[in-house]
Amino acid sequence: MCLGGLVVLPLVRADDSDVRAVGARVAALALLALLAALVLGWSPLVPVALLLAGGLYGAQLAIDDAPLDAAAPVVAAALLVAAELAYWSLEERERIPGDPGSSLGRAALVAGIGAAALVVSALLLALVDVVSARGLAFDLVGAAAAAAALAAVVLAARSVGRSG
Amino acid sequence: MTRRGSPRLAGYAVVAAVGLLAALALRRPELAAAAAPFALVLALGTRLARDPRVAVEVELGAERVLEGDEVEALLRLRSAAPVDRLELLLELPLGIAADGDARAVRLAAGEPREVPFALRCTRWGVFDVGAVSLRARDRFRLVVWDGHVEAARRLKAYPTPITVRRILAPLETQAFTGSEVARVKGDGIEYADIRDFRPGDRVRSINWRATARRHALVVNERHPERNTDVVLFLDSFADVRREDTSVLEQAVRAAAAIATRYLARRDRVGLVSFGGVLRWLQPGMGATQRYRLIETMLETGVEPTYTWRDVNVIPARILPPKALVVGLTPLVDLRYVHALEDLRARGFDLAVVEVDPVPLVEPGRRPLEALAYRVWLLEREVLRSRLQALGIALGRWGDGELEATLEEVRTYRRYAKLARA
Repeated sequence: MCLGGLVVLPLVRADDSDVRAVGARVAALALLALLAALVLGWSPLVPVALLLAGGLYGAQLAIDDAPLDAAAPVVAAALLVAAELAYWSLEERERIPGDPGSSLGRAALVAGIGAAALVVSALLLALVDVVSARGLAFDLVGAAAAAAALAAVVLAARSVGRSG
Repeated sequence: MTRRGSPRLAGYAVVAAVGLLAALALRRPELAAAAAPFALVLALGTRLARDPRVAVEVELGAERVLEGDEVEALLRLRSAAPVDRLELLLELPLGIAADGDARAVRLAAGEPREVPFALRCTRWGVFDVGAVSLRARDRFRLVVWDGHVEAARRLKAYPTPITVRRILAPLETQAFTGSEVARVKGDGIEYADIRDFRPGDRVRSINWRATARRHALVVNERHPERNTDVVLFLDSFADVRREDTSVLEQAVRAAAAIATRYLARRDRVGLVSFGGVLRWLQPGMGATQRYRLIETMLETGVEPTYTWRDVNVIPARILPPKALVVGLTPLVDLRYVHALEDLRARGFDLAVVEVDPVPLVEPGRRPLEALAYRVWLLEREVLRSRLQALGIALGRWGDGELEATLEEVRTYRRYAKLARA
């Protein structure tokens, strides 16, 4: 449902009917990928579905050259919640009975993660709105920040991969 | 425990990386804002993940149970670090079943936790229970620790008792007092005959009525009650199995029932498990011998061997003279059949319970398979006739009661005696 809502948003907003038609296909593909991931239990399809949905949203913003989108925090939270729920479903495929109330606790944690994503994303957007300067220097800083973030992610993943 | 990243870790990394790159490429900060929470979850999750170091102990509710009974396996858990979800999979050997062999729990740091599992022994045997596979997940479910614990506890499942009211009487008895009425005459309860009085006879044994008729002292003769030696001769060369039953399992059930019944009448019972591995137990009596016998039977299994074995490998003291040898066999392996013939040739009192494998064998659908099945059945008939021609009493035990099979053997032995007489 999260992902459904997410893919509908750019379709509703798109001005061009051609963009809407292509977008509908991408949206269908995203939903199909998620459905396949859940039915087949194949987790690599989950990020594919998320990327298609996120890509559709980004493409709509880029094509329409829209101003800074205030709905981006909601999109971020919806993406993260959709991912959390999808992976949770995949974990539950093994049907291992847990402690009573553990599902409720997990649902609360997912809701908390969603809310935190909303806040973090909103703060980032607010920061972007305040620092509205453009230019090569800012682009370089942005690229460096992105590269640093990616490097941090890779390092974290590598440290997890080692035997504990 | 082995630490690895969950599929979520790779997925979030990919989404965060592609989102940030796309934000740069399309010059849309919204995409960076959408990707940032994924990167944040990754950073927080990997930073907060701690190796759980879970200690597991397994305790069984009982060490010995009857086949079909339930026994509780209690897993005692303790973790050095908090575990958001610890999945436990009890690896059960064949013959042990559980309604749910997997469970997930949440563990606080240092908190002891007990997780009970209800196990059921579906067949007799000796089982090592307690191998547990563990999978721990952190709070953000980004890191997974896999582990395996071998906290094996031995569980012995005894065969279900089969009711046997009458058992086979041996041709000859032993010297000790027991419940079997001996053929010889002596001091006992069972009336045997009368004879003329001889000096040394007790006055109480005089039959006064017969004395009055014959005008000479006549005494009663009686059969003494003696014990017998019984050796259970179990065929463990081959087994025929189908789904949840096998002829060896049935043979052990029957052997346990027969042994219990003989031991209850103070007879001495021994065991020879004749197969790839030779196991034996010297004849003995009492409850201890019963447990020894059953525990030896529990270890019985089919050990494949191509070497020829005959009865010479059996120690002489295991097969005492005048012992009744009760064979339990599916009559599948010729080495066992030859051993039976050999024992008969050496003058042992021999009775055979054939644990019928025919109901467990599918005839096959193709004509050639059906023909092979029919030939096999005919060969079995020939084998039976050959053994009976040697004077070996043989009864078939299939789906019916063991009691009926023993009666069949008893009847054969009765008529065989008449024929010999």
